[in-house]
Amino acid sequence: MDERNKQIALRIIAIMYFLTIFAMQGIAIYRQFVLGQELSEFEDIAILMTINSLFLISALLYFGGVPVRKLKIKTIILAYLVFVVLGSLFTYAKYNIFGSSDLSFKQLFDKLIIVCAIIGIMMGFWILLSILGKRRTEKEIGD
Amino acid sequence: MKLKVARVEKNLSQQELADLCEVTRQTIGLIEKGKYNPTLNLCIKISSVLDKTLNDLFWDENKK
Repeated sequence: MDERNKQIALRIIAIMYFLTIFAMQGIAIYRQFVLGQELSEFEDIAILMTINSLFLISALLYFGGVPVRKLKIKTIILAYLVFVVLGSLFTYAKYNIFGSSDLSFKQLFDKLIIVCAIIGIMMGFWILLSILGKRRTEKEIGD
Repeated sequence: MKLKVARVEKNLSQQELADLCEVTRQTIGLIEKGKYNPTLNLCIKISSVLDKTLNDLFWDENKK
């Protein structure tokens, strides 16, 4: 296999990977809204997609697939807030719009604390990987 | 075009050049037709096999 074959193979694998992820997303939406299945019935797909996305972003950050020049506190806080807002909207929609249970503000607030904590851990992990990835590259340049 | 001329001057077929550079004949064919951009490593390998410099084979004066 020469470099051209590898390039083509990698490109096709990447396209197929994203198509698979989008297809899984479609299946999850179809099951939830068309077939009206409970969330617990397709938890496996949701877990698989979550782990997949987490590792994809982690690997991209570690191996330098994302152009991170400098980790700015402002950018990190902004990204965190965006994730928290999206997570909160998703949690609200999951229980109060799509779910049958209407959560009180107190119950929703409790869940939002969990959302904030999970996003915090996730972002901390990604920041750590960015730093480690950058160090790895610097070491390679140094050698 | 320059690559093809250099290869013919060396009396090599596409397959022979490909074998020497450890790539497929199709890759050499596509480079000659300008339909594939090789990596710098492959350019160096081809130049070394054909006893030419990178400039001789891959530098286009008109695109300067």
